[in-house]
This record gives sequence, structure tokens and C-alpha cells, in this order.
Amino acid sequence: MKRAVIYFLLGLVFVYCLFPFLWTILTALKPQEEVFKLPIRYLPERISLENLKSVFYKRPFARYILNSLLVAGGATLFTLWAASLIAFHLRKMEIERSLKIQRWLLIMAIVPPALLVIPVFMAMKKLELVNHYLGLILPYVALNLPFAIWMLHAAFRQLPKELDEAAMLDGFSSLRILLGIILPLSRPALAVAAVLVFIFCWNEFILALTLMPSQMRYTVPVGIAMLSGTSVYEIPWGEINAAVALTTVPVILLMGLFQRWIMEGLTRGAVKG
Amino acid sequence: MMKGLGFLTFVCVLFLVFPIPVSSQVVLRMIGPEDLGGAWTEIVGRFHERNPEIRIRYIPGPWSTDQRQDMYIRSFMSGDPYELVYMDVIWTAKFAEKGWLLPLEEWFPPEKQEAFLPGDIEAGHYKGRFYRAPVRSDAGVLYYRKDLIPNPPRTWREFEEICRKYSNPPERYGIVFQGMQYEGLVCNYLEYLWGAGGSVLDEKGKVHLETQENIMALEFMKKIIDEDWAPKSVITFQEQHSLEFFEKGKALMMRNWPYAWKILNDSPLRGNIGMASFIRRPGKESASTLGGWGLGIARANKHPQAAGRFIEFVTSPEAQKILHFKRGAVPSRKSLFTDEEILKESPHYRDLYEVLSRARPRPVHPDYPRISSILQKHVSAVLVGIMSPEEASRGMSRSLGGLLKGRREGWLKRLTLDSDLHRTMKNTVLFTFLSVPSEFFLGLLMALFIHLPFRGRNFGRLTVLIPWALPTAVMAMTWQWMFNNPFGVINDVLMRAGFLRAPFDWLATPGGAMFAALFADIWKTTPFVIIILLAGLQSIPKELEESLSLDGAGPFKRFFHLTLPMLTPFIRVAVIFRMIHAAGIFDLIWVLTKGGPADSTRTLCLYLYDLAFRYDEIGYSLFLTFLFLAALILMSFAITRGLTLRYERIGR
Repeated sequence: MKRAVIYFLLGLVFVYCLFPFLWTILTALKPQEEVFKLPIRYLPERISLENLKSVFYKRPFARYILNSLLVAGGATLFTLWAASLIAFHLRKMEIERSLKIQRWLLIMAIVPPALLVIPVFMAMKKLELVNHYLGLILPYVALNLPFAIWMLHAAFRQLPKELDEAAMLDGFSSLRILLGIILPLSRPALAVAAVLVFIFCWNEFILALTLMPSQMRYTVPVGIAMLSGTSVYEIPWGEINAAVALTTVPVILLMGLFQRWIMEGLTRGAVKG
Repeated sequence: MMKGLGFLTFVCVLFLVFPIPVSSQVVLRMIGPEDLGGAWTEIVGRFHERNPEIRIRYIPGPWSTDQRQDMYIRSFMSGDPYELVYMDVIWTAKFAEKGWLLPLEEWFPPEKQEAFLPGDIEAGHYKGRFYRAPVRSDAGVLYYRKDLIPNPPRTWREFEEICRKYSNPPERYGIVFQGMQYEGLVCNYLEYLWGAGGSVLDEKGKVHLETQENIMALEFMKKIIDEDWAPKSVITFQEQHSLEFFEKGKALMMRNWPYAWKILNDSPLRGNIGMASFIRRPGKESASTLGGWGLGIARANKHPQAAGRFIEFVTSPEAQKILHFKRGAVPSRKSLFTDEEILKESPHYRDLYEVLSRARPRPVHPDYPRISSILQKHVSAVLVGIMSPEEASRGMSRSLGGLLKGRREGWLKRLTLDSDLHRTMKNTVLFTFLSVPSEFFLGLLMALFIHLPFRGRNFGRLTVLIPWALPTAVMAMTWQWMFNNPFGVINDVLMRAGFLRAPFDWLATPGGAMFAALFADIWKTTPFVIIILLAGLQSIPKELEESLSLDGAGPFKRFFHLTLPMLTPFIRVAVIFRMIHAAGIFDLIWVLTKGGPADSTRTLCLYLYDLAFRYDEIGYSLFLTFLFLAALILMSFAITRGLTLRYERIGR
């Protein structure tokens, strides 16, 4: 009986959390005329890839994906690279001081990007980096760095300090200790941080909208948001849903693959931080 | 590992120097609406044939013209603008004032300008220079049912008589128009104002609205609704709604744009539709609001000559004919109104020419967006019944006068005067205080549930996390689709379950839109609360719980005496974190409702963004951002204090 209740609730949670996503997939697979058919049918009568195709043929969606991959990938690499160096250094400090530093970093992380966009835009314009991949990568790194440091630091601190000391006695340099010992031992944390930072960058909207205003520089979310306005004229809902499905499926796959570690990493970060 | 890092660094450096690909051909870009009918494809194709060295890239943008304007503004501000500027009449003054446009006299000297409709040419001028070559013209017209009323009304009095005699609400109303609070309402209102003999600005450019004419115009508009000559729901109508209403035969007359002609003549009403100038007060002149689109050239542009050549081609009779036949666009060249080919297909162009030659542009002013927003608010307030016509005419006159006089008060003083700021702050507070508690309780329930030991718990955790990991802006499109009327699934589900009898237009009503935004936000951010609370739950030692339950404490007692106190620091973190982010919401609302309808979901961050990127007031925007940030940073200090205390307890 109790189990039945639990699984009923689980089913409810499942429907609640996944319904929008599933609905998008279902709409994306409907042929054009069925999307706008009343009364609504929940399952497509005929599965069609027409919408998925036209996203690529009629619009530069492949280009948007490339832009997103470049920016999110580049930002992830930069972030992890910097975060592991910083976290490694924090590990050597007294705990009080490193916490103080992290607290300051955290304050930066808390500010909603919508409040940063104007100053960042002005800075990037001065640097002539508007419409340039680097102009978006740099703010992404800045936004994600505190979080990445936080997660990596939590992982690094679990390793016994004796490890470093022993390596030091063997004549290892700091960099070699980091690269040869600490990082390989914290691989799960690295992977989780990478996945999460990548997802954050892949999802980010307002900076991408503002810092890369040229259409050939749109990232996927911006490209999708621009597919329609609030006008009542005919909106290509079939294509929009196809594009949404294409953007969200990789995220869900990543989450599924790294599920265990992500949950662990997130809750550990929260407890420890 | 060393090698791996070296490679990573190499890749990073590659990104640093990643070049923007350069093409050797002259490429000119423009943004327009979706190219339905293929007119632009054909025009661009023909142009390419004759000018192989130039490539035109027509970028289909969003339908919303406001959004396309924002795209242009952002691109101007970035210093790398789209070379060809395809603009609405009302954008010209602002773009020209900012120095973003190149004057066009080189390609359109005065003698060439004479070939176009005078209103279109006038609207293309700013401070004596010509910036915008008209591509298609547009003006408000009055459609009427020839089969139901003998003659179209010319004056307000005749209009009243017809409505009294022939209308029969709710089966058949007198007129439908665009009464929603948006740009279209201004177009409608101006036609009454001009028809009464009034105007927004006098000859000297001063505000001229606290007048008898303005009051009469507003009174008459209000009367149309009060007397049931127009349906009450007209205050939610845009062009498409009015057209559908009229098409169903539910109104004798309709105020709309010429594009409706073709659609009406493909409908069962074919042959019964007439077109006339808009009504006026007896003894005054009728006037229509000028619409229409034209092309200009961005000043920061390496190839003005190529752009000029393209504009010459697009405004030529050949291209305008393509636009007419493939898209139903009204030409801006006088000669085409006597063109036989066109007249054969559209005999009504003779009447239309009359209307167009009397069309008047909206106030030509760089601050037009704000002027329009003031007019919209006041006219809408009259139609809804919140303000009397006298109050509204005084109010709009004062607000406009204040805006136009010295452009700004000091920033500090503006804090108390800025009604947009107050409105958006109110919305932000409302949104924050409705969403955060709901997220918290839902999150707490789900965290407790997911924390129970059962098979499949990991699956449950993954499920719960997913909304958080999906891109907000992208999912906002899905929500827009789900809340759509009539194709949205949410209406369908509610109706099947018996909660709703008729489909509800969620995103077009203030309350509905707010609800939709809240619902989507709660869905999206509850997982964040769950993550934090789950971390808290995991930190509670199992032994404590067991010993409590051995002592005979029931689940509720255990929850209130053990779980809740232990969770408190985590709850504090989750709630404050969420409050800051709810207060700073942008993505979801920007995509889902754009702050509409009637600013009912416009939050502070949307306003700050508009201030900087639409109203061009970066300074004031940054000032407000600074105040907002300061408030938020104070809050974050509170968070991190809580965090550190917690940490120190565990860490030691």
C-alpha cells in the first residue's frame, strides 16, 4: 500500500517535471498541419521529421549550434583551467582565509546576469569584442568561476594534505602536484564541474542576446527566442518546438549520464560551502 | 596529464585568436519579417542577377516590430550594424537623431522624391534631411459592409446614426478597431483626434493636448464602447482579432490597414466589402494614420554605394509590383495607383489613393517610443474607464510636456516621478513574493519525498533536477506554446478536467500572463530549492532520527523537532538565493510575455534593459542598476554569513 502511494507520487512528480519537455517533443514530431489542428491530439497521428528538417534548411540553426558549442566549450575549458589553479592555491591556505575569499567570490556569483549586462556590454564594446566569441566567453568564465572554484575546492580538500607533502619531499613542483596527483584524483568533481558549467553556458540568454547581436553569431537560445514575437500572426510553432527539442535533448542526456555525480557534487558543494 | 593540459591551453589560445571569417564579396544584411509569399526572395534574386558583385542577405526576423527595432538598435550600439535598415515610419526620427543613418539625397534628390506619396516622403525626413526611402505605404482605412449599410459614414454623426439603425449587439456590432494597449491604439486614437481637428504637437512643436478637441476625441471613443457600438472586448483587440471578428460578420465596420482587403475578398464576404476614409467631426478633415516601411542605410557601413543601389532597386516600380502581387503590400509610388495591371487586381486602389494622400505621420520625434507609451496608457485608461476624458487629456498633456521640456530631471528626483519604475518595481515585488514561497513549499515537499528510501530514488532525483538544467529562455517558448490560445495544451487539459468552460487567453490578459509567468518560473526553479534542501537533509545524522523514533516520536513530531531546526540554515540559503534571482528575473518573462500585456508582467530588469537598449538612457539605467545591486549585495552578505556559520560548525 505504502509502496503504491510512493510510486503514484513518483509518477506525479515525473509528469509534472517532464511534461513541458515531452509536449515539445510530441509537437516537434507532428507534421505541420497537425500542429494547428483542433481539437488537440496528444499523440501525433503520423510521425514526421519535417519540422526538424526545416529548422536546418530554412534557418541557420546549424550555425547557432556551432556558435553555442564554441562559446560553451571554450568557456568551460577556460573556467576549469583557471578554477583548478585557484582551488589548488586555496587548498594550501588556512581554511579561514580561503573561506573569506570564497565568500567574496560567491557574492559575484549571486548577482543576476540581467544586472551585469549593460556594464559588460560597454566594456566589450570598448575592447571591440562585441560579436566576437571571446567577448561572450570572457563574461561566462567570470560568471562561472566562483561556482567551479567552490566545487573543485570542496573536492580537493577531501584529499589528505600528506599527499602533497610526500610529493614535495620527492621534489615535485607545485604544478606537477596539481596535474599529476590532485587533478587525477578529483576526476569526478572535474567532470561534474565541466558538465554543469557547460550547461550553464549553453543555456545562458541575456548576455548572448546582447553581446553577439549579429544573426550569424546567435547562440541556440537566442536563435530560438527570435523565431517569434508576441504578434498574433502565424508563428512557426512546429519549427520552434523542433528547435527546442534539439536544444534540450543534449542537456537531458548529459544530466542522465552524469546524474549520480552531479547530485553528489551539488549537495556536497552546498554542505561544504 | 601534462600533455592534456598543454593541449587544453592550446585550444584556449586558439579561441583567443579565433578570427571572424571575412568574405571578399560585398555583403549587405537587412532584417525583415518572415518572407511569406517569397517577394523578398524574388527581389533579392533579381538584384543579384544585375549586380553579381553584391550579396544581399535578407534575415527573417521576429514578427514583432518592436523586437526587430530592438535588434537594429543593439546592432547600431555594437558598432557593427546591419547595413540596410528596414524601418517602420516611427523609427526614423530616433535612428536619425542618434546619427545612425546616412542621408539619402545622393540617391533620392528632391525631384525623385516627388514620385512617391507625400506623406511617406514627409515621414522619411528628419530635421531637413532625408533618411528613409519608402518601400511600402500603409494607412488606416474604414472597411464597411456594402450589403448592410447603404453608404459609409463620413462624420461622427452619420456614424452614430448608422450604428443606432443597423447594429444589433451582441449579434452584430457597429465597429471593431484596435483597442489593446499597444502602438495600434495610438494609430486609432490619432485618427479621432485629427478628425476632431486636434493634434499632438502644435506648429511650434509644443504639446497641444489639453484641448477641447482631445477631450471630444476621447469622449467619442469611450462612447463607442459604452453604447455597445463596439464589443466590450475590443480593448483586447489587435489587428488580427478585429479582422477575425469582422470576417465572421459580427460588425458593420472595421478600422484596419489595407492588408485586410485581400483576406476579406478571399472570405465569404467577398464583394460585400467597401473601403472609405476614416470618420471625422462635421466640418473637419478626415485623416488616417500613416504606417508603412522604408529602407535606410546605416552610417557605420563600408559600402554605402552598394546599399544605395539596392534601395533604388527596391523602391523601383518593378520591385514594388513584386511586393504588391506576392505580399499584398501597398506601393509608395504614385504612378502605381494608376497602373493597369495593379488596378485589374485591386480596383479599390483608386479609393485607397485618396486615403493615402491624406495620411498623416505620427509625431516625428526621437523620443517617439515614450510619447507613444504615454498616449497608450492614457487612452487605454479612458477606454477601460479608470480615467475620465478630461483627466486623461490633462494627464497626457502634463506627462508629455514634462518629457519634452528638459529631457530629464535629476536622477534622484526621477526616482519619485518615474511611473514606469514604480510599476515595474511593484510587479517585481509581486512576482518575487508570489513565486518564492510557492517554490519553497513545493521544493520542501519534493525534497522530503525524494529523500525517502525507496527503489528508483535516483531516477526520481534526476527527474526533479531536469527543469533546472533546461535553458530558461528556450523553455519559455515551450510555455508560450502550451499557454497558447487556441492550440495550447493547458487550456485543453483544463477544459477536459472541467475547470474551464471556454478556452482562456492566458497570455493576453494581465492576470493570466502573470499566472503563466509564475507557473513557469516555479516549475523551473523549484529544483534549485530541492538541491539545497536535500543537502541539508543528508547532513542530518541518521542516529538522531532513529533515537527520536525509538522514544516514540511520530513523523510530524520528528519533522518539527528535528528536521526543520536542522534544515533552517539551508532554508535560509535557498530562500534568499531564490529571492535575489526572482527579483532579477529576465529571460523567462522577456521570451514569454515581453512584459505585456499592458506592462502587467514587466519587471525591473526588463525596464532596466529597455532603458539602456530602447530608450537610450544608459546613465539612468546604470544608476538604477547600481541601487538595485546595492540592495541585493546587502542581502547576499546575509546569505554568506549564514553559510560560513554553518560551515564552521561542520568543519571543526
